[in-house]
Amino acid sequence: MSSKNLKLENVTKRFGNVTALDNFNFEVGVGELVALLGPSGCGKTTALRVVAGLENQDSGKVFVGDTEISNTPAHKRNMGMVFQAYSLFPNLTAEENVAFGLQMRKVNKEARIKKAQILLELVGLSTHGKRYTHQLSGGQQQRVALARALAFEPEILLLDEPLSALDAQVRVNLREEIRRLQISLGTTTLFVTHDQEEAMAISDRVGVMNNGVLEQIDTPDVLYNHPATNFVASFVGVMNKISSQLNEGHVEVFGKRLKAIKGENGAGKVYALVRPEAVNVKTNSSNPNAKVLTRSFLGASSNIVCQLSDGTIVQSLMTSSGSGDLHPGNSVELEVTSSEILITHE
Amino acid sequence: MKFKRNLPLTLTLTLFGFFVFAPMISAFEYSIRTPLEGGYGWKHYIWAVTQDDFVHYLMRSGWLAFLAVLITLLILVPTITWLHLSQSPLRVLIDAISLLPLVIPVVAFAVGAQISLPEFVQSTVLELPFLYFVLCLPYAYRSLDIGLSAIPLKTLTEAARSSGANPIRTINSVIIPAIRGSVMATVAITFVLSLGEYTLTVLLHWDTFPTWVTFVAQENILGAIAISMMSLIIPFLILTGITLALPERSNQGGR
Amino acid sequence: MTPSVIGEGAPSRGRTFFTFSLKSYLPALPLLAVVGYFFLFPISKLIYVSFLSNENTLTLGNFVTAFKDPYKTGFLNSIKIGLFSAAIAAFPGAVAAYFIETRGSSKLRRTIAVMNGVLANTGGVPLAFMFFAAIGIQGQITKILKVLGWDIYAGQFSLGTFSGLLIVYLYFQLPLMIIIFSPAIVSLRREWVEAAYNLGANQYKYWRTVGIPLLFPSFVASFLLLFASGFSAYATANALTVGNLPLTPLQIGGLLDGNVSASQLNLGKALSSVMILISALAIIPYLIIQRRSARWQKR
Repeated sequence: MSSKNLKLENVTKRFGNVTALDNFNFEVGVGELVALLGPSGCGKTTALRVVAGLENQDSGKVFVGDTEISNTPAHKRNMGMVFQAYSLFPNLTAEENVAFGLQMRKVNKEARIKKAQILLELVGLSTHGKRYTHQLSGGQQQRVALARALAFEPEILLLDEPLSALDAQVRVNLREEIRRLQISLGTTTLFVTHDQEEAMAISDRVGVMNNGVLEQIDTPDVLYNHPATNFVASFVGVMNKISSQLNEGHVEVFGKRLKAIKGENGAGKVYALVRPEAVNVKTNSSNPNAKVLTRSFLGASSNIVCQLSDGTIVQSLMTSSGSGDLHPGNSVELEVTSSEILITHE
Repeated sequence: MKFKRNLPLTLTLTLFGFFVFAPMISAFEYSIRTPLEGGYGWKHYIWAVTQDDFVHYLMRSGWLAFLAVLITLLILVPTITWLHLSQSPLRVLIDAISLLPLVIPVVAFAVGAQISLPEFVQSTVLELPFLYFVLCLPYAYRSLDIGLSAIPLKTLTEAARSSGANPIRTINSVIIPAIRGSVMATVAITFVLSLGEYTLTVLLHWDTFPTWVTFVAQENILGAIAISMMSLIIPFLILTGITLALPERSNQGGR
Repeated sequence: MTPSVIGEGAPSRGRTFFTFSLKSYLPALPLLAVVGYFFLFPISKLIYVSFLSNENTLTLGNFVTAFKDPYKTGFLNSIKIGLFSAAIAAFPGAVAAYFIETRGSSKLRRTIAVMNGVLANTGGVPLAFMFFAAIGIQGQITKILKVLGWDIYAGQFSLGTFSGLLIVYLYFQLPLMIIIFSPAIVSLRREWVEAAYNLGANQYKYWRTVGIPLLFPSFVASFLLLFASGFSAYATANALTVGNLPLTPLQIGGLLDGNVSASQLNLGKALSSVMILISALAIIPYLIIQRRSARWQKR
């Protein structure tokens, strides 16, 4: 069954007084892996569950391809879903779990067990087929869950924070595996997470959500370098906020005049948004404007946390070799290496 | 939609409620009958609570139940704490032993106690709290075991000990507060079971509140019914009150 | 087996090596002593004595008598009432537990749990009173039913008969079922239902392939516990029957009070031993099943 695209149109969902989704519009293209990223309570899981049919939207429509499925019951939607944890049926072996979707589609036992074995091989668990849930580690369970969701070749794959309950190392490995599988099968995939590193690492596009609203949806590059809102700027990656004055479309930061992106109108007090990798720390300067608080060695790079005279904390990401002589207490000069800069008024 | 969802529940509760309350209400109605004056009144309740024996036996049962609780806590809290901390191989054995009283019918236990405990033990009513302790052991042990499993016991103990607390201080000031819910549940179960224990008590020829009620029934049945009503409703009200007053623990299922 | 703490720079606590093993078990002494003395010792002695004749020689004579009438009937009746009361209470109790746990509010669930705790321990004279008041010859419900055209006392029925006792036993068996079965219901994770739906199962298929297979062992275990509860009940049977219904707990009680024919002093002990055996045959499987279910019921 070839994949289709997924579309949510003007979906609203309320829980009592809380509006989880507010006129939500969203689309995932055929074969795309799109992440919904945001903090707890932003509505991303609700959106996923509306797609899956586990929640009923108050208004709005859901489409798979050209077919509207807004009122189709969950068990008829032909989507594969991976839950955060504990979703394997404890009374069935790994194999039987994986074969479950096929069993529901009335595939005979031999054929479905065979298919299950193929999928278990795909996720690297071919020898674990006869094990039960309590005999598998967290990472293994999620891989079985993934195999189970894909066994019946669904049109859409849904992942609800599948890595959140796992150890850090397992998480990194498994997210790569998910991406590889997804690409090779070409399944349209919606991936919900609160971990921005995860979302950025494996997605074709990432949608950042806050309070039921989609703030921005773009490729990871664009999201990182051109955040459309203040929320996106601070949620994705680390962002420094430095006070400055907006004047004729330019701001001055650390003595350098920079073009303010989207700063044509307005004047007055603003914040300049600068990524740590765009901040350079110079020692032995005649113009110190900050003091080093800490230097964290991260391997190839180091994170240097400095404080300005007005108390603002600024982080700089430099190569470790280039910042070896920086120590807490040093007076340093900070400079911005880009020529244009994002601003925000909050 | 909501009505449809709750229909099975409503039905269940109605049937269940009828089954539970019909006999209770019937008995209650009996207990407030005053056949001599006609109509209803609290005569039998008043009669019951003003009996000397009422207070005497209630105190007696209360005292025995209290001792049972004391024995339970004094023995189980340190022991189970130790079992958790020391990873002793004895734990498996003791886990199993704690379940044994479930296997043995109370009648058989009574017979066994009667033929084996020496004269000096059997001649004092103080044998009862120890026997009640055994009867309540499966529930008390499990309750405390679960409670201790749910807290970071090792960390707490080490923190307390390194701050200078001796073992007794540690248990009293650190561990018991941490497992307050379990301790209260254990106290409640042990107290209520001991207070109402009948079979073992009567077969060993002791008189406590439950056995006294049986005795009263022979001469004043309506009074006995009144007493029975109280012995049912009052624990229920108290336990419900305690349960509802306790802050809600994290939702373990259901909606 | 005993962990070695010697060396590794641990401060010496003045223990010598050979007392280490003994001391490491010392904290368990109070518990083992009390349980040993007040429980294990009496039960062991009980079983031992049941093999003794009046002359203190080893014999199976007590057991031979135990399996003859009237004791044989006593066992049959007790087993019957255990099985029947369990059978009648099991399914309704399971269903009630299901709806209460899955549809009830938190307050409701807690209140019902407490209520069931009290009800499951109701028995003896108070329980007998309630049922006399309700469906005794002068009972309220009896009167109402008569008005509706059904005279429950038209036939052989009375609260002191087997069927009467059975109805009364339900009063504590049903709440007991709800108490012990509820944890299994609670452990059915929402993720399983949702995963099943997502994979194409409707309600019916979910129950058939996942729900019921998971609940079934706990259901059987609960049934076993209910059986043991009905089988061993003493106080209620004592309050309701007047010697007309042979039941093992009552017979043992009678023998305990010294109405012993001199020919068999240890009959009561033998009867008790058999009771223990039957009870164990139910409770031990119950415990084993519960232990295995705990693997997936852990939250």
